[in-house]
Amino acid sequence: MKILKLPKDKLDYFASVVQQFGEVHAPVEQDGKYVFKRLTRWSEARLAYDRTILPPKKYFLPPKEPLLVYRPGEGYVAPAGDVQHRLVLFGVHACDVYALNILDLVFAGKYPDPYYQARRKNIAIIGIDCVPDGKCFCRSMRADFVDHGFDLFFCDIGGHYLTFVGSALGDDMVLATETLFETVSPADIDEYKRRSGAKHEAFQLDVEIRDLPEIFEMEYGSAIWDDLGAQCLSCGSCSAVCPTCYCFDMNDEAVLGSRAGTRSRNWDSCLFSTHALVAGGENFRESRSSRIKFRFYHKQRGFVAEYGRPSCVGCGRCITACPVDIDIVEVLAALRETRHAATH
Amino acid sequence: MLLHTDTAPPLQPAANPYQPYMARIVRIQKMLDDTRVFTLRFLDESMVRSFRHRPGQFVMLSIPGTGEAPISISSSPTRPEILELCVRRAGRMTSSLFRLSTNDVVGVRGPYGNGFPVDDIRGNHLLLAAGGLGMAPLRSLLWYALDNRHLFDGVILMYGSRSPADMLFRDEMLSLAGRDDVNCMLTVDADPSGAWTGRIGHLPSLFDHVTLEPARTYAAVCGPPVVYRYVLERLLAAGFSKDRILMSLERRMKCGIGKCGHCSVGYKYTCLQGPIFTYWDAINLPEMI
Amino acid sequence: MSKPRAGIFGLTGCAGDQLVILNCEDELLDLVSLLDMRDFLMAASDNDTACDLDIALVEGAVFSRRDKERLERIRQRSAMLVAIGSCAVWGGVSAAERNGGLAGLLDETYGTQGRDYDATEAYALHQVVKVDLKITGCPIEKHEFVAAVASLLNGDPPVYPQYPVCTECKMRESNCLLIEKSIPCCGPLTVAGCGARCPALRIPCIGCRGPAADANAESARQMLAAKGVPEHDIRQRLRTFAPTGGSA
Repeated sequence: MKILKLPKDKLDYFASVVQQFGEVHAPVEQDGKYVFKRLTRWSEARLAYDRTILPPKKYFLPPKEPLLVYRPGEGYVAPAGDVQHRLVLFGVHACDVYALNILDLVFAGKYPDPYYQARRKNIAIIGIDCVPDGKCFCRSMRADFVDHGFDLFFCDIGGHYLTFVGSALGDDMVLATETLFETVSPADIDEYKRRSGAKHEAFQLDVEIRDLPEIFEMEYGSAIWDDLGAQCLSCGSCSAVCPTCYCFDMNDEAVLGSRAGTRSRNWDSCLFSTHALVAGGENFRESRSSRIKFRFYHKQRGFVAEYGRPSCVGCGRCITACPVDIDIVEVLAALRETRHAATH
Repeated sequence: MLLHTDTAPPLQPAANPYQPYMARIVRIQKMLDDTRVFTLRFLDESMVRSFRHRPGQFVMLSIPGTGEAPISISSSPTRPEILELCVRRAGRMTSSLFRLSTNDVVGVRGPYGNGFPVDDIRGNHLLLAAGGLGMAPLRSLLWYALDNRHLFDGVILMYGSRSPADMLFRDEMLSLAGRDDVNCMLTVDADPSGAWTGRIGHLPSLFDHVTLEPARTYAAVCGPPVVYRYVLERLLAAGFSKDRILMSLERRMKCGIGKCGHCSVGYKYTCLQGPIFTYWDAINLPEMI
Repeated sequence: MSKPRAGIFGLTGCAGDQLVILNCEDELLDLVSLLDMRDFLMAASDNDTACDLDIALVEGAVFSRRDKERLERIRQRSAMLVAIGSCAVWGGVSAAERNGGLAGLLDETYGTQGRDYDATEAYALHQVVKVDLKITGCPIEKHEFVAAVASLLNGDPPVYPQYPVCTECKMRESNCLLIEKSIPCCGPLTVAGCGARCPALRIPCIGCRGPAADANAESARQMLAAKGVPEHDIRQRLRTFAPTGGSA
């Protein structure tokens, strides 16, 4: 991989050059929290942020997205839409890039999703490293570093950002600045290693994911799920803020007085009582406890079987967004606990 | 008639897998008060020729202005050019479908799902056990087997319904009773009409009247939960291995192509790895049956 | 197909839902041309108050014997009856829990003369007659109303979200008043459809649309109590707009 470094005091200039590659969006402050938003000027960007309320998922799988328009005689056709709109997301954390790499798995496969794919192609990603806080456990989820899925990735090494060039587009951005980027020295590499080690030490949360699928199988009938079911509000906040939750509903909205209309997809959640309800009234996950169990099970066990890793990146958003303090790290620790005396 | 000795050729996936192709309703047959068979034919003749499915697969059916829902295909790929969908009126989508008439246009995309593993079944006996509306997905396999009769050893059909009036495709089923290349066993739970001359009794009781070779037989089962419970019991008692029992399952689906998450059961998507599961799959997946 | 004969009626309420219908500026011409509006007192003077109707839209709660008689008559006239607005769907503020019951309320409002007033306990429409469809909201949302008419004209019931306001609040990426500011917000219990308008303006949800499907009131009560909200306030907050609770 091509690795360069950018003097920190040249970041403003770099950002101004990057505008030619698309509309620049970056984290901005909103009442003490952060959201990815279109910048009106570079000074609004807050690159030292903890986490945005919504992950970058919102750009690739918008909360509500028209998929098809139906007109009698013409059939169903994709609307003009904005999937070709070029954006640059500036300041994406490693866990969130990792989450996009996970969504890539779902929206590719036998039936590639053209809407997601187009957005993934047209939205450039400039990553930036971060300092873990008390809600981060990306290291446990092996998502604290990414080696692909971005165009450029910046790592703070003091006076410079060490810059990983992840794509030809990222390389074009570097070249567009002509002489801004410098070659990396052995001392820079040492500094990177020192800081990487320090980041490792900074994590306050730890989750062991080895043999978690097996533990999920064994604790499928655990009373933990009943307790969580009593606590969960089924409000869907955790799913909405999760960078890897992708469940969606599809609904048709007819034009007044016509069968013409629009078919849209909207974010959905497996915590909603309608998620597994079929016509005729049978509901395969009627109880709240079965639904919250499903959410954990699918992420930590089901996804592992399907794609070889949990669909959780340890970003901590679900912990911060739950009104009743359901904490995934505590849940996983509780599942791992031994509660019975040894019998031999 | 086109004989299919191979599995369906791979369909070139459309550039947009969410985009339905328009099809015309060419025939509507009333089966029961709340159950009809809709026969569809694509408007585009190239789709008529290229659409191929495997028995047990389903399509996503769109009704303009109303929505989209998964419906299993009841016709056999050996009888191409049309699609027969046997539908019970159960909700918003199917109610809307029941208000349509012949010549109305609907949207169809697919076929989706794995379908029955016909290549594995080849050379074996095939036992089809359907209860009630469970005939809808099994009928495709039934006619596939009868139209490719030389590929299979014995073919046994067990079909149980509440009453003779509740029997789907009744004339067709009764006509099979006269054929010597299929052991067609029909039963009804009760016969209020008094005109039924066939068997009366629950579906599992048909097992008392056959000798099965479990090691050389695949059983395809579909029906309401009670059918699964008792038929599975009989199959296991007869010595069937759990991966020779095939079941067609229903789940909520929005996309049909493994994205929307609704049909997920544990770590499988009903729309991709199903809707046909072996009993072994079923007992190893949570909430499966 | 002939145009469906429609009527729009108001029982005890603020007429806000009928105003929303009249405010559907972009769609009003279409609505008028697609429906044969026979009886809409608020908008017309030449009403046919006796004809059979295909669809009746009724706002307001049943709060008097007269309301009850009118509603029963509307039900008799109409093939389909749609409750519009939180009062019609849930009983709304008319039915809000209060101390002293109806007698106490009348005394408090009108003094001793109030006892003669034609008032009953307040009911949601479904507690009095069969209701075919409910469009909740205080007032109803314009887009949900138009979508309902569009669907019904095609013979389909409309599809509304049944999940809580929180999900819509997250969709528009508002700050969480409950978590960040410990402000009692009814978002987790209230059915979405409003686009989480209030929390986006930093105003807590007061539950005006009524409960979401499967709302977990007990857990929410514990959560609010843990934030120091007095039990009485919690109860009142949860019962202001939807005293009929999950029974609807």
